[in-house]
Amino acid sequence: MLEIADICAGYGGVPALRSIDFAVGQQEHVAILGPNGAGKTTLLKTISGTVEADSGSILFDGQDLLSQAPHRRVETGIVHVPQGRMIFASMTVSDNLRLGSHRRGARDRHDERRELVLEIFPALADMLGRDGGALSGGQQQMLAVARGVMACPRLLMLDEPSMGLAPRAADDIFEGIARLLKSETTAMIVVEQRAHEALEICDRAYVLESGEVALEATNRELLNDERLAAAYLGSEL
Amino acid sequence: MVEFLQFLVPGILIGGVYALLASGLGLIFGVMRVVNFAQADFMMLAMYLSWALFAGGVGLDPFLAVPAVFVLFLVLGMAVHWLFIRFVIGKRENHDAQVILTIGLGLIFQNLILIRYSSEPRVVAPSYANAGDFIGDIFISRVRLYAFLLSVLVAALLFLFLNRSRTGRAIRAASENWEAATYMGIDIDRTNRIAFGVGVALTAVGGSALVTFQSITPFVGFRFVVVMFAAVVLGGLGSVSGAFVGGVLIGIIQSVSQVWTSAAVKNVWVFALFLLILYVRPNGLFGKVQRAI
Repeated sequence: MLEIADICAGYGGVPALRSIDFAVGQQEHVAILGPNGAGKTTLLKTISGTVEADSGSILFDGQDLLSQAPHRRVETGIVHVPQGRMIFASMTVSDNLRLGSHRRGARDRHDERRELVLEIFPALADMLGRDGGALSGGQQQMLAVARGVMACPRLLMLDEPSMGLAPRAADDIFEGIARLLKSETTAMIVVEQRAHEALEICDRAYVLESGEVALEATNRELLNDERLAAAYLGSEL
Repeated sequence: MVEFLQFLVPGILIGGVYALLASGLGLIFGVMRVVNFAQADFMMLAMYLSWALFAGGVGLDPFLAVPAVFVLFLVLGMAVHWLFIRFVIGKRENHDAQVILTIGLGLIFQNLILIRYSSEPRVVAPSYANAGDFIGDIFISRVRLYAFLLSVLVAALLFLFLNRSRTGRAIRAASENWEAATYMGIDIDRTNRIAFGVGVALTAVGGSALVTFQSITPFVGFRFVVVMFAAVVLGGLGSVSGAFVGGVLIGIIQSVSQVWTSAAVKNVWVFALFLLILYVRPNGLFGKVQRAI
């Protein structure tokens, strides 16, 4: 579904990704793990287009992505839930969800999608009239994921959905994502520091280090092989 | 008390027009962080258009011409964005280019009109130009009342557009966080273009509302540019509703100060209050650290 070959990207001449090969299959769930500064977020941004690739190719359903403007890529069903949530703080929860279904392919399905996201994150149901900025960190993260789900993603990209959250709030997020995956057939990429939680909902993982793929393995290989886990994931597992 | 009200009421009426002028400037700044120094010259162009439609044989009432002015300046604003503005949006190092570009556009507009129509002041005087009504002891000028009502109507429509329409919501989202808006599939270039067009058209309509009691020269923008900027800063940079309140407030101060001091120093009062408010609230009345329109 998504095929990335030999991607290089960087910021002002400083390379962040060095020749990355990466793939996501139909309905596959892939985790991207690795230390801070490894290039995980840059990789997602290169896919969604807010960071420009210097070289390489990205195909989505066989179509070239790099020649398309970022907002066009969303129309193909690539939906990015960015790091740090980036909800619209001055707008109501309801309006945030409505913006989630802004893209053409999701407009007519707003009502049914809204029902779905409120099932996944019931806590949001009582907050619909509140400004996004008035929510707690955990609720804002729920809103950010929910807003992404509104867009009817074919490839959902979650960038550190548990960042900055208390353990219990992070659990709520992962439980919500697990509920989503039961009813949805979307492919997914999850960037996470909490490797264990990420691997539980993923089929496969890439470990990035210094802008390169250091390891690619199935979640079973990673979870069962203590040597691999210790070498690449530290004490997280 | 009656004397106070005699100054307060016209102050509110002109303040409504200031509010409309300023809301266009505030919308453009709020959405794309461009300080449009040509804004008052778009107003001037709209005043000349209203004058040409009225005096140039068509005899169209300036208030009835408003829909045409709005549409024309919406298109003109979107064209100017597409031709020039979009190339200087975004990066920090573009700020100098923005200033030079918008000041330059303003100068070009002024001098094109000067070449075409000379500097002779033009007046639009419909049959009811001097009419008015007394409510108690307070005289209310017909044209100023119409101008005020027009401003309130346009502001209400702007509010509905920004809050209820798909495009309006997209514009608000893009102004708050362009990156998140991009992830929603919003075309930032398009929302900027529409916001610039709407912003220019709002100020243009304000100009049409002014022509019935303000004579027109190629440099009439100078009379209003300070008021517009003060209103936007007073209300809080980036807040359209703030710009609106700022405009009304300035109209009231200008007018009410004449109870005590000469009209010649009315702007001294405006800036005294301006400094006072910014001293107490550096982000303006409705300004937040978080940007929102």
